[in-house]
Amino acid sequence: MSEGHRAAYVAFDRFPSAKGSAVHIRHMAAELFERHGGGLLCVLGGGDLPAYQREGDVEIVRFTDVVPNLLDRAQAFTAWVAEQLAPHRDTLELCHVRDPWSALPVTGPMVYEANGLPSVELPYAWPMVAPSTLDKIRELEQDCLRRAAAVVVPSSVIGKAVIDRGAAPDRVHLIPNGADPVPASLPRPEAAPGRYLIYVGALQPWQGVDVLLRAFARLADLTDLHLVVCSSVSPNRARPLRRLAERLGLGDRVRWQYTLPHEQVAAWLAHAELSVAPLTAGPRNLEQGCNPIKVWESMAAGTPVVASDLPVIREVLGDDGRFVPPDRPAELARAIRVMLEYPDVTHEFAGRARRRVLTWSDVRHRLAAVYDQVESR
Amino acid sequence: MTPCTVTTGFFTLGKCGVMAVAGCPACGRALCANHVTEGGLCPECAAARNQVGHPAAAAAYRRRAHRHRTAQEYSDAGWYVGFDSYDRAAFDPGAGADQDYLDDGADALVDS
Ligand SMILES: [Zn+2]
Ligand SMILES: [Zn+2]
Repeated sequence: MSEGHRAAYVAFDRFPSAKGSAVHIRHMAAELFERHGGGLLCVLGGGDLPAYQREGDVEIVRFTDVVPNLLDRAQAFTAWVAEQLAPHRDTLELCHVRDPWSALPVTGPMVYEANGLPSVELPYAWPMVAPSTLDKIRELEQDCLRRAAAVVVPSSVIGKAVIDRGAAPDRVHLIPNGADPVPASLPRPEAAPGRYLIYVGALQPWQGVDVLLRAFARLADLTDLHLVVCSSVSPNRARPLRRLAERLGLGDRVRWQYTLPHEQVAAWLAHAELSVAPLTAGPRNLEQGCNPIKVWESMAAGTPVVASDLPVIREVLGDDGRFVPPDRPAELARAIRVMLEYPDVTHEFAGRARRRVLTWSDVRHRLAAVYDQVESR
Repeated sequence: MTPCTVTTGFFTLGKCGVMAVAGCPACGRALCANHVTEGGLCPECAAARNQVGHPAAAAAYRRRAHRHRTAQEYSDAGWYVGFDSYDRAAFDPGAGADQDYLDDGADALVDS
């Protein structure tokens, strides 16, 4: 047995989970561990997840303390990560992190993967947070981003945001998301309605699922059309949206699926008429950018996409989808109607989009190139 | 046969399922030969008692930890001292935008 790990991957995120972030962690960590003969994965636990696992040369440790206040929890996590990394201090060559809470205790070479910025995202879930508090969080981010040997971003929108926060431009690397091609033969899910639109993802306000529900209410004349919401989060968090669907009289035309395993989502996507990414135009999506894995996965499944016209989605979809102004249910409904009426044109889009998708192995190659650069310094 | 009930896997988790040869004296779960740690505990119970990981690294760490605790190198190094009780109050469980968003914790923050 060797002295200690040479690499660590740290994320203030539950892993594994049904969310897109977990797929991302899976592939990025795999690349890190493969080239370092294993490593240490520090993530959040909870539920049935074991606090400790050893899988070959990989050790997985999960933070399981129950700390009700989020900032206290982040602080406790940071201290816990420091403790986890300490025994490997002499051997660690590289730490890969996803957030400031994970980056703070890292002392050696660090790759910071910025998929989101807490100073932008936190006010959505925590509306009482004061601007002065956000400034302090922004300072933490700046400190971590400046120290990073490399910063990996999934879109140039967030690339700009990290450079604004002090990351050296020549250390910022764009690595888009990946999605593995979906085989055409994937069987139709048994519970699938005949013809359906699909939304895949989480349900925070910035996702715009309410806009989609309102748009769908305007398509009541298409009586054979359903909407499937594949939520990556639990039924509890869908309650406000389900209430909205009821008020709109959508009834069982909307089907709700929760925390489906990733491989099942692909089948739901593949058999949908259209995939909708109705993101809103708030600062979260405009300034920080986001990580529209759902768009990549729709493209990989060959499913036509209709999405809000935001730079971050244009960057992914190019001209191979249909764009509508964000937050406008009537326009979204009209676009859906047109796409359903001209399936040939729509599928031509989808075919082109499919060919543009990076596979996860492409993504891993790009990450490997970043590691090479960091390690040759 | 009693199957080993240790959770295994990286992205897709499942139970080990190999024939158990012992039980963990601390938590009682059934363990296969592969999942019995040196002290006889299951991996999780062993980890909770600091009995896993690389022995050399762990020993070196204990030596360093002693030295560093006095040097404050591993105390939280002041990372969060800038936050006062006013900053923290905004993140109390009751202060969230919608309780429905909080039921599965902090990992609801940065996702797609
Ligand atoms: Zn045990
Ligand atoms: Zn076993």
